[in-house]
Amino acid sequence: MRRIGNAPKFRSMLAMAGVLSLSVLAVAAAGAARADDIKIGMITPITGPAAEAGRYAQWGAGMAVDEVNAAGGVMGRKITLVIEDDQTTNPGAVTAFSKLSSQPDIPVFIGSIRSTQVHATENDVLKIGKPMFIGGTDPTLTQAGNPWFFRARPNDSYSAKVIADFGVNTLKLKKWAVINSTDAFGTNGSKALIDALKAFEIEPVLVQGYANQAPDFTPVVLAVRQSNADVIGSYFTFEQDLGIFAKQLKQLGVTAPWVGSPSITNATALRLAGPALFGTYGIADFTSDSSPEAKAFATKYLALHKVEADNQSSWTYDAVKLLARAMEDAKSTDPEPVRKAILAIHDYKGLEGTYNFDSKGDGLHGYNVVKNENGKIVFTKHVDFPG
Amino acid sequence: MTIVFQLLFTGLGVGAIYALVALGFVLIYRATNVVNFAQGEFAMLGAFLMVIFFGDLGLPYGLGLVISLIVMAIFGAGFNLVVYYPLRHRPYLPVVISTIGASILMSNGMLALYGPAPQTLPNLLDLPGLLIGGVFLDSQYILIICVTAALVGFQYVFFEKTLLGKKLQATSQDKEMASLLGIPVATMIMITFVYSALLGGLAGMLVAPILFVSIGMGGLISLKAFAASIIGGFGDVAGAVVGGLSLGVIETFGAAYISVPYKDAFAFLVLFAFLLVRPQGIFGERVAQKA
Repeated sequence: MRRIGNAPKFRSMLAMAGVLSLSVLAVAAAGAARADDIKIGMITPITGPAAEAGRYAQWGAGMAVDEVNAAGGVMGRKITLVIEDDQTTNPGAVTAFSKLSSQPDIPVFIGSIRSTQVHATENDVLKIGKPMFIGGTDPTLTQAGNPWFFRARPNDSYSAKVIADFGVNTLKLKKWAVINSTDAFGTNGSKALIDALKAFEIEPVLVQGYANQAPDFTPVVLAVRQSNADVIGSYFTFEQDLGIFAKQLKQLGVTAPWVGSPSITNATALRLAGPALFGTYGIADFTSDSSPEAKAFATKYLALHKVEADNQSSWTYDAVKLLARAMEDAKSTDPEPVRKAILAIHDYKGLEGTYNFDSKGDGLHGYNVVKNENGKIVFTKHVDFPG
Repeated sequence: MTIVFQLLFTGLGVGAIYALVALGFVLIYRATNVVNFAQGEFAMLGAFLMVIFFGDLGLPYGLGLVISLIVMAIFGAGFNLVVYYPLRHRPYLPVVISTIGASILMSNGMLALYGPAPQTLPNLLDLPGLLIGGVFLDSQYILIICVTAALVGFQYVFFEKTLLGKKLQATSQDKEMASLLGIPVATMIMITFVYSALLGGLAGMLVAPILFVSIGMGGLISLKAFAASIIGGFGDVAGAVVGGLSLGVIETFGAAYISVPYKDAFAFLVLFAFLLVRPQGIFGERVAQKA
């Protein structure tokens, strides 16, 4: 009985010990960032459905930080990351940014890869007035007049142009079937692809939307078959849908080449669809074979983290390097000089491509085209457009 | 013409999936007068068990299937004890809410255990399918149609011709009367949950090669299966099957000849029409009598 009576006391002692040891750890962690370090505030999912991707983002950024510091840092000072969890939600992103932006010694930020979360922090970033690199690809993010957003990935207006250009100019195919999810992403992508094809005076023979999470695509596949299209362009949101469509395409004997939006090249889609995707083309912002820089990063990343590098890690790597370079060029961490220095970056060879910033803050203006050769993603060509 | 047959076959295949899950709904409804909204999650769980035993642990397909079904049976018993049994004397609404809660717990539990990435399972049969006169018959769809037909036959014989089946029906119609007649009501309900978990799990394993294995797969099928059971007449075995098959066919032809993006709307338009004109469903007299 005594033991039971003492239990709460024991438990509270244990809790106190826990809190104490945690605070010691926190002090130790804080000690790692020295006072004169230049801090980069980073918002990324540590919890929630994108936690896995968030880990890759931290790894990519961390590798860039180590490399910058090994090369002497920025203006002779070391750089460090201050990371806050966005919980893969919009409110989480807002809270994370407010925690970071309340620290006056953080001069620059890295935001989310998801456009909706970037939108959520838009007003706060404008109020604080400090540069933030983003990975969200909604074109409006940099075009709505916020001077503090800079993008380290190509925006969606280029994906359609690249799909159309590759199909028409490289594959020399003119009878297009456009397949898209009817959500915002798929609808806008399909519209952009139809517009891009118009520039080649091509009217698609079939434009077919579908609702997400469909158990069956037979009617869509039959429509493609009946249209006699010789090339398929697609905007699929979910890999499951893409997998079912790909399998049924093969089963019902459609052999037209297929050029898809980035989802067709991602690891989940490759795993789900398997051989059904062999021989298809897709566009990708990061491919390890696209440049010597990407190749070196992919090798080092795999050795360090035992996972293949993808765009989740490559864009944060580029973002840290670009921020470090801009602060070095500006010889300052003040917002306006850093902003000007970012916009002045031209011909910078990053992992995602060659950065040439336009006045809106978009650094990249094209995509890689890749081919699925027996399950392996092989770099085919890089298509760039004038910013 | 080949197109019509192709659509018909696919429609029947998709419909058979709905029917399979609808059978689980019907079974529990007949025994407890409650709709089990976790029926779709039973399918999800069954498919994930198969991924674990066959895919991850590398057991032979047959052994993996048997172990998965055993786990499903145990899960069904546990589900009864935790989700239904404590609320058995309450009106149906708390029980329904309890099953909804359980379904949320199950999908989030699986998310925490296995992560969000969808998984694959290979077709049970090695051959991909048959090509007959330009119509492709996916072997997995053929299998699903056959299994559904077999289960319908089994369920019919079970409920109408066996003493145990009749005891289950009696339990469903009037629990007090059934127990006065010496039917062990609690055991009957336990059997129902075990069997319906098996059924749901089997449905998940069968559809996995087509729909892949994902956290959301249960919700995807069960909503349509629910609509199918209402169209067929809730609580009727033949109704669940006819409802499921017709829903699959209507959806597929509607998508092909009217609109693909609004495919899901057809299912619910048909449901709406039935609720308006014939709320008891196609085979609904029995339910009306029950009420």
